[in-house]
Amino acid sequence: MLRFLGFRLLRAAVTIVLVVSFAFVVLRLSGDPAQIIMGADAPPEAIVAFRRAWGLEEPLWRQYLRYFGAIVSGDLGRSMRDGRDAIALVAERIPATLALTIPALLIKLGLGIPAGITAALHRNSLIDRAVMMLAVAGFTVPSFVLGLLLVLLFAVQLGWLPSGGQEGWRHAVLPIVTMGIGGAAVLARFTRSAMLEVLGQPYIRTASAKGVPWRAVVWGHALPNAAIPTVTIIGFMVGSLIAGAVVVESVFSWPGVGRLLVVAVANRDLAVVQCILLLVAATMVTANLVVDLLYGALDPRLRQRTA
Amino acid sequence: MLSRRSALAALAAPALPRLALAEGDARPSITVAVQKIANSNTLDIARENSNVGTRHFACYTEPLVDTDWITTLRPRAGLALRWERVDERRVEVALRPGVRFHNGDEMTAEDVAASFGPERLFGGEAGVAARVPPDVRAQGRAVFPGLSVEVLGRHRLRFVTGRPDPALDKRLGHRIGVVVSRRSLEEAESWLAWARRPVGTGPYRVAEFRPDNALILEAFDEYWGGRPPLRRIRFLEVPEVAARIAGLLSGEYDFACDIPPDQIAEIERSRGFEVQGGLIANHRFITFDKTHPQLADPRIRRALSLSIDRASIIEGLWAGRTEVPRGMQFPFYGGMYLEDWPQPRFGLAEARALVRAAGYKGETIPYRLLNNYYTAQTPTAQVLVEGWRAAGLNVQIQMRENWTQVLEAGPTRALRDWSSTVFIADPVSNMPSVWGRNGSHPATGEWRNEEAFAAVEALETEMDTGRRRAAMHRLLTILEQEDPAYAMLHQAANFTGKRRAIRWRAAQSFLMDFRPGNWDV
Repeated sequence: MLRFLGFRLLRAAVTIVLVVSFAFVVLRLSGDPAQIIMGADAPPEAIVAFRRAWGLEEPLWRQYLRYFGAIVSGDLGRSMRDGRDAIALVAERIPATLALTIPALLIKLGLGIPAGITAALHRNSLIDRAVMMLAVAGFTVPSFVLGLLLVLLFAVQLGWLPSGGQEGWRHAVLPIVTMGIGGAAVLARFTRSAMLEVLGQPYIRTASAKGVPWRAVVWGHALPNAAIPTVTIIGFMVGSLIAGAVVVESVFSWPGVGRLLVVAVANRDLAVVQCILLLVAATMVTANLVVDLLYGALDPRLRQRTA
Repeated sequence: MLSRRSALAALAAPALPRLALAEGDARPSITVAVQKIANSNTLDIARENSNVGTRHFACYTEPLVDTDWITTLRPRAGLALRWERVDERRVEVALRPGVRFHNGDEMTAEDVAASFGPERLFGGEAGVAARVPPDVRAQGRAVFPGLSVEVLGRHRLRFVTGRPDPALDKRLGHRIGVVVSRRSLEEAESWLAWARRPVGTGPYRVAEFRPDNALILEAFDEYWGGRPPLRRIRFLEVPEVAARIAGLLSGEYDFACDIPPDQIAEIERSRGFEVQGGLIANHRFITFDKTHPQLADPRIRRALSLSIDRASIIEGLWAGRTEVPRGMQFPFYGGMYLEDWPQPRFGLAEARALVRAAGYKGETIPYRLLNNYYTAQTPTAQVLVEGWRAAGLNVQIQMRENWTQVLEAGPTRALRDWSSTVFIADPVSNMPSVWGRNGSHPATGEWRNEEAFAAVEALETEMDTGRRRAAMHRLLTILEQEDPAYAMLHQAANFTGKRRAIRWRAAQSFLMDFRPGNWDV
């Protein structure tokens, strides 16, 4: 078990180093933070002063070493936009993002899994076709289009809900629904196909032939075996809790981590981008680790192999 | 215990009309949806020297000399009651007495000296001045070169420059020359803390600033210009234009800024809403890198300008709501405006003749383009390319993501977009910073002309208006005809959607004026 955990942690550390290095190179080679943050009309001497203040005139390799050394010592740097500590800047946005992504995840689970199971249990029926039609629609409509459609309907036409901002729970409804619908559609499709595969297995037929009630067959034999691919997708969804709302936060003017990431990338605000990437990588790695452990719990064969 | 009535009231509260009336204060509160509140996450206009910062800075801080942004664009008395030129290097200013800062202090000459001194603009080695960021210092030096301030009395000062400056009195109205409380500078725990809540004299004070989210201003009832008409102004950051328009039409926002021209008709189709605004003191143009092999010959650059159908661009992409200027100047320059300077012409036949005479063989001329950084930038570029093709010029668009990529030197840098805003009623507002020896274009290496540099210097130091006009004429002749540095497109325009019932006039600037006299419902 320790070896299993150690290998995965080592793999996670290598992933994070690669992510950080790649982001540094791409961001620094594709834009000058001084020019972008100071604006197109800034006098040349102001641009020069900004570059000097932030060490942007040094050779790139030296900037990279300085930056990497700071990360290793736990210093993620300061935002070039206003000089604030990057960790503090990101940390204060996390609650806003989680206020959207956690309820959206619950909608995804609460809608997507039952819909997928229902569709599989009624294969080729009207229910199956209706559920899959909705799932395909939810899956294929981009979130920014769905978000704007919901705004047009519920904010502009009906006036029931606000179109954007972060003033209270009513402002969170449309972004949560936007994210929830798309994710539920994905989960429904995966759950359905996993269930269909399991329902065709010999052990399901055996259990039915032995006279086990169908409900018990589904709950006791089909669902646990169909859970593995579904848990993988849920793992990805949990992993993207922190930065999975980039588009929705922009459409609904929700000041979370996603919007901070967009602004930071546009401004080449390296410290903030890196801080978010580290956070995302850590969340994703943790989620993957939990998923790996869940595999063992769900499938005794995997547990025995690991042991 | 929650009664049924209070529960119903709580449910209904969010649906109440937008102009919420506070108990005891009948003035309305409004929400203004903007694309961006501040690029730098600060509210000191010397740091946030941008179009987006211009939108709100005058609500809480005011320049020493006011500008009538709504009608004449001319300077007028504000915090300074009178200003008088003493000689070619000195201007004396009499301050308006009784002006209060948001912290209750009375504005004195000491505050103005600190606002135009090392403590706020130019920086220094010790004390408060040591905290001023290097880029703010550079901005200060660029706008107020060699400036020093002498306090003559509680409400009198003298501004002195190191060399003759014909526009010194006008510079006192520049947006970065706002007056802030000296005590607030000294007492702030850091420069950032101060710049997030500057203490000025404006009609509204900063109540809360949540970067990348919202800026909330509250009425400052001791404002020298009278009781502000609004109780609260909330600037809300809504990056997507579709979301801003939806919020306006649903009644959540009272104003939606940065409306593209093609959305004007859509908004005004809804009864109860209108789009205000129009020309602002900004020119849009295409600049030339004359070091590019295809642009070395000035005849090609003239042909590029001649083959631009500006009328079609304005009609088709701007709904006819902007115009072609008479060169890089504005009528509100007064005595410095060359009223007989011609508008750029559209002449395809003449352009074709110039292309032939220059021996151009159809080599590619790259055109680096950002995706709608400027209003209607990409469709404008597509129209331009077709016009150039009709003149026999092979221009190819190359999309770029940011200004670094646009400005980067190399064989693909030839044409690019640019704009220039003026902040005071004189050509020194932008000519030196764009076309002067240390200006933005010579700094990139795209264009240099010693005679033009000399003309710019004359504009900056020559005191005689006749000789300054001659220098301006010579400069425009070089820039637009002899050794073209750019092809003028049109004057820029800015549009704001609002509820029709609000009687409010848009400024000829990005600035939004919510002072007494510019609001009624």
